[in-house]
Order: sequence, then C-alpha cells, then structure tokens
Amino acid sequence: MESRLLRVDLTTGKMRSEVIPHSVFERWIGGSGINNWIMWEHFLTHDINCDPRGPDNIFVFGVGPLAGTGAGSGIKGRITFKSPCYNMFGDSAGGGKFPYMLRFTAFEYIAITGKSPKPVYLHICNDEVSLVDASHLWGRDTLETHTMLREELGTYPSHAHTLSISQAGENQVGIASVVSDALRIHARCGGGAVMGSKNLKAIAVQGNGGLKIQMPEEMLAWSDDFRQKIDENEAVYGFKRRGTLGAVEMYQHIGSHFWRNNQGNMFRGGEITSDNWVKKYHKYSEVCSSDCFIACDAKYKIDGTESEAAKKYIGETFRRPEYLTTGSAAGALDVRDWSEVAHWGKITNDYGIDNQDLSCAISFLMELKQRDLISDSDVAELFDREQSLRWGNMDDIEFCVESIVFQKNLFGKIFGDGPYLGAIRYSELKGQNFMKYATYGKGGASFTEEMRPFPTWMNNMAVASRGADHLKGIGLIEKFQRKDLSKIYFDGRTEAADLSVPTLKGASTALIENQVALLNSYGVCLFHWMLDPAGYTPQDYYGKAYAAATGIDRTPDELMLDGARICNLEKAFNSRIGMRREHDTVCERWMWEPTDEGMYPGSVAAEMFNPVLDEYYEWRGWDKDSGLQTRKSLEDVGLGDVADVLENEGSLA
Amino acid sequence: MITVHANFHSHFKELASTGEASFQIETPTVEALAESICEAYGPKMEAMLIDPDTHELNERGTMFVDAKGMRISMGDQLSDGDTITFLVGIAGG
Repeated sequence: MESRLLRVDLTTGKMRSEVIPHSVFERWIGGSGINNWIMWEHFLTHDINCDPRGPDNIFVFGVGPLAGTGAGSGIKGRITFKSPCYNMFGDSAGGGKFPYMLRFTAFEYIAITGKSPKPVYLHICNDEVSLVDASHLWGRDTLETHTMLREELGTYPSHAHTLSISQAGENQVGIASVVSDALRIHARCGGGAVMGSKNLKAIAVQGNGGLKIQMPEEMLAWSDDFRQKIDENEAVYGFKRRGTLGAVEMYQHIGSHFWRNNQGNMFRGGEITSDNWVKKYHKYSEVCSSDCFIACDAKYKIDGTESEAAKKYIGETFRRPEYLTTGSAAGALDVRDWSEVAHWGKITNDYGIDNQDLSCAISFLMELKQRDLISDSDVAELFDREQSLRWGNMDDIEFCVESIVFQKNLFGKIFGDGPYLGAIRYSELKGQNFMKYATYGKGGASFTEEMRPFPTWMNNMAVASRGADHLKGIGLIEKFQRKDLSKIYFDGRTEAADLSVPTLKGASTALIENQVALLNSYGVCLFHWMLDPAGYTPQDYYGKAYAAATGIDRTPDELMLDGARICNLEKAFNSRIGMRREHDTVCERWMWEPTDEGMYPGSVAAEMFNPVLDEYYEWRGWDKDSGLQTRKSLEDVGLGDVADVLENEGSLA
Repeated sequence: MITVHANFHSHFKELASTGEASFQIETPTVEALAESICEAYGPKMEAMLIDPDTHELNERGTMFVDAKGMRISMGDQLSDGDTITFLVGIAGG
C-alpha cells in the first residue's frame, strides 16, 4: 500500500508530490490517522503555538483506503488543522463525492501551508495541479462557488467536485466551515477560517484514474456480506427513510433534546416534536455519499403549502435537515416550523458555518434577554439595530447568522469563535459573569443534545481532542443501555450500560474512541455502525475489508492498538499547546444545574464527573493529576518518539 | 391476564400502522408481549423486534423502554397497566 501526498506552499506557489510509503499506513492506517501524522510532523518544524489564522498553520485533506472501494457504508473525507476558534487540535469529516473523486486523481492527501498573496483555488486534474486565480469567486457563497467551478472546469476527464468556503471563511470567522460539493459540510473547529486565512477559496478535483485494491476478490466478498447483513436488518429500512432524524422521537420520549440553550430537553410545538414531517415533506431520496448501501439522505423542496412560514421559502430545495440541524433550530433556538428548520440547514450550509456553534451562541444571548440580564439598548449595541432576540423568530435568527458571516457588527465579532469565547468576551465587555449560561465542553460548543443523564457522553464532551464532541467516542453502549455490548467489550460486565453508576463509563470512552479512530482512518461513515456495533467492529469485521484494500492484515488487538495510537497523537498535540486536566471539563449548566424534565430528571454531571474522568485516564494510562500522558503509555502504543518530543517540552507526566 | 400498553414510534409506528395499542397477555413477561406484537403485525415487525440468532429482543438500532426510561429485556416481568415504548436507536448526526 502506498499513496501520494500533494504538498502546496501557497506563499511561494510551489507544489510537489510525495509518496506516502507503506510504513506510514502500517503505523497510521490512513485517513484521519495519516492526516494527524502529517500535521504532527509539520509542527515539529513550525511553532505549534502559532496563530491558527497565520501562514504557519497547516490544512490537510485526506481520504482513507476504504473510500471508493465498494466497502459499502459511505465515504468520509477528513480535514485536519489547528483550530482557529478553539485554539487546539481541529478536524472534521465530510461526505459527498469530493473525497471519492480525489481518489480518482493521482493524490489521496493534500497538505497546504503558507498564504497566497491573492485569492486562488487549487485545481487537481488527475496528476496535473495548478493554482488558479479565484478573484471572480471571492465574495460568493459555497453554492455559487461550486456552481461556477463546475461550469468553468467542464466535464473532462470528469465533472469537477469541490471543497469550498463562503464569505464566512473569507472573513476568517472562527466557526467557518468547509463545504463539499455545496452539499456536505465539514463543520466543527473552523477549517473554513484556515482556508480563508490562506486566501484559498476552493479545491476542485477531476479525475478518471482507477483505484488499486490489493485483494479485489476478498473486497468484493466482504462487500457482498456487508450488504447482506444490512439488508437482513429490518431497522435499516427505518434508517433509510429517516437518517439521523430517527432520533427526534426517541429524544423527545426520553428527554434528550437541547431546548432553549438547554434550559429544557424536549421540543415544544406540534409537528416538529415527531418525525411525521419526514414522510410529508421529504420529496425524494438519493444516495448519500458514494458507495453507501444505506443511503439515508433525501431532499426537500418547499412549495409554500406546508405552513404559513413556508410561503417565505417557496422553491427552496436542499438536503433534508439532519438531526443536529433540527436539534439546533427546533431545540436550541425553539424554531417550531418545519420549513424554517429546513431553511436554517440550507443557509448554514450555503454560508459554510457550523450550526452547533451558531445556535449555542445565539441561544446564549436569547437566554440573557429572556432573563432580563441584558436590555434592549445592550442588544442594539451588539447589532447596530433593534433585534428582538425572541425565541424561534427566524428573521431575527437569520440576521444573527449574517452578522457573524459578514462580521457586520459587535455581535459578529464577539461570537465569531463560538459560544465559549463569545461568552467570555461578552462577560468582559459588560463587566458581568454570564458564563453559567454558556454551554460548552473543553471550550468547544455543545452538540445540541442533552448530556446530563449520560455520563459517558458527558465525559466525551470533556475529553474529546477537538472539544465537546460525541463523534470521537460515541456512547452507544450507555445511551441505548446496551448490556449486550457492555458484556462483549468488558468481559461479561454490564455496568457500561447502566446509567446510574460511573463504573466503566470512562473505559467506554477510551474503548470507543479507539474504534472510532479506526473507522475515521478507514474513510467510512459512522452512521451504519449504530445498527450493529458488535457485528461491524472496526477492529475485526472492518479490519478484514482494510486488509483486502491495503494488504495490511492485522489482528483485532493490533488494530485497537492502532486506534489508541491515533487518539494518543491527538492528545499529544493538545498537551504541546498547554492543555491539562483542568481543560478536560464541561460548562457550569451541565455540571451543577439539574435537568427538570425528561425521563431522567435531576441529573447533573457533577454526580459522576470526576470518577468517570479518573477511570478514563486510568484506561489510557495517563496521569490522573495532570491529565498528561506518561512515557509508558506512549511507548505501549509505539509512540516513543512522541514521548521524546513531549519530554523536551515539559508536556510529559 | 394483564393489559400492557405499547407506544410505537418511527419505523415501529409504520410497521404497526398505529402509534398505540394495548395487548392482553396471560404471562406477565416481555416475552409474551413480544409474541403478541409479532402475531398482530407480522413478519416485518418480528424482524424488527426479535433477534433471529439469539431470540432475544433485537438490540441493533432499537430502543425499548419502560415508563422510567429503562431498557427492557425478554425475561423482564410486566405488571397490569404497564406501558412499553418502542423506539429506533439513533443518536447524533
């Protein structure tokens, strides 16, 4: 197995191709694992404490070895960089056809450094690469940019697939994202600001090369088996129809939404509290990412008959909202009309901006207004106009979004890095402490879901390498109370599935983080994994597909060690920039303020937080007092060289 | 004989063509309830509800909870008037 990396120095315009040798795949699997290593090596020769918006930051795109092979569960590409909004490790996955098409060019990894003197886009056409003037694209949103690039690049050797930023990225807004083919967003952590800071408007790829699979017959057999397993599970048909929106009714039942800045955990209003509208309004389906057997995506088109509010959006069409798009609008902001929720998803995608950070920032301010902690004149000071900040007022919400995207006013400037830094800055500005109303973990914006009854999820929010995150260590065992999985993973013990005790919750985070690191490195979607995480284990079942694709045949134990190695490198990155145990924490609301509705009332994080965190460090072999890695813990996963770096910088326990 | 109420959501609701139903069962167990539901709604519901390998409740992509939000298992006892909710198990997105 080998691959090619395209290095681009935007300051000089120089580009060169490098071979990524087999040994790198042996150590880092691919995808996010290799991205992490490219960034780690970069910051051995560049200042890791650099300004993330400066030319010393690096922007890496990579796609794992199962992407495009028929592995059957959707492709995910990954971007990796130092985060401008959270100032720590940053990365983000995205689907669509861009990562698929990159594999049909000569490259699977791209590493971009420096800063272009003028706006450009990077064009990769098979093995030819060029930097092209992008002044005609500057000032465009992601849909306009994608459409114009498709038109100007033609259809040979293929249609162009794009990765682009909007005006938010151009303005280096900390929570700006990168959008694939104008449809699929690499949200979280501010990759769009990094591209914007480099004057890089887009990357466009065209290719018609093939993929090399080491053992094609084995890969086909694996794919057939996977498809058969998927088809045999009746639950898949619900997944196909609803995608992640299937969570709406479950969350409404148990109390796991994030309502009005997490003052509650149930949606209010009629239709929006169920998923009836999936059938009513989602007009047609399409394949989600390339190669996916589940195809949970669909589109909507608003005809204006759906509701009074829908008349504002007649003709609007886009992907149907995912759960977190719905959770941020119907939950965090209390938007109760389906068409407005859909419109929220559309504008945050076209503006290429993270809707979790946005909704947490806006709902933070709405709560201050609701509680009369700020006056109308305070609001006018922020927005340079009257702004009601009334829950669910979509016109006001849209102005808040534009304020941030276009940096129109004080609100845009203060909250452009998300709710955590925004709340700190606003507290300083007003000379009052508003932090008890900010929802975050480790400095990252909350995912708009209720966390308090779920100790593993809460721990994930505190320790995730990119700040508040359920996708690094998704807590299926606990949230779905899967005793069967707990028994499999923990030698017959069931406590990991028991919400009432802290035992095995930190262990679950560590174990699942390792598994997720593998899936992200293979380059496949996590979604199908919810169907049968025991049957589709990344280290066993998926390990066979990885072996077929790469020829790297590992035991499940060896692959779990590979996953742990990837997680440890992300941790080491954050240790180098000074992050310690005190940073592995969550916001005051989650820690101390009990839930007062849902099936688990009275839950607070503080009940179990420290025992769970201690157990997590124990399972990782890290020092519980400082939160730092030990030499032994790093050498155990083959990272003695990383331990040397940390020791030299005083970041090793 | 006891009466147990079932609330069906999402895909379960489609398979049952209703959001609510009540079942009278002679043995007060989840297993008896599951049998009644499968009998009422046919093979697709059975495929969703029962793991064909273990004959336990299918835990893959599902969530079955009692009134306190606790997941139920085949061997659990039920009481007259209990309500069991059948949900799909999906998170995040």
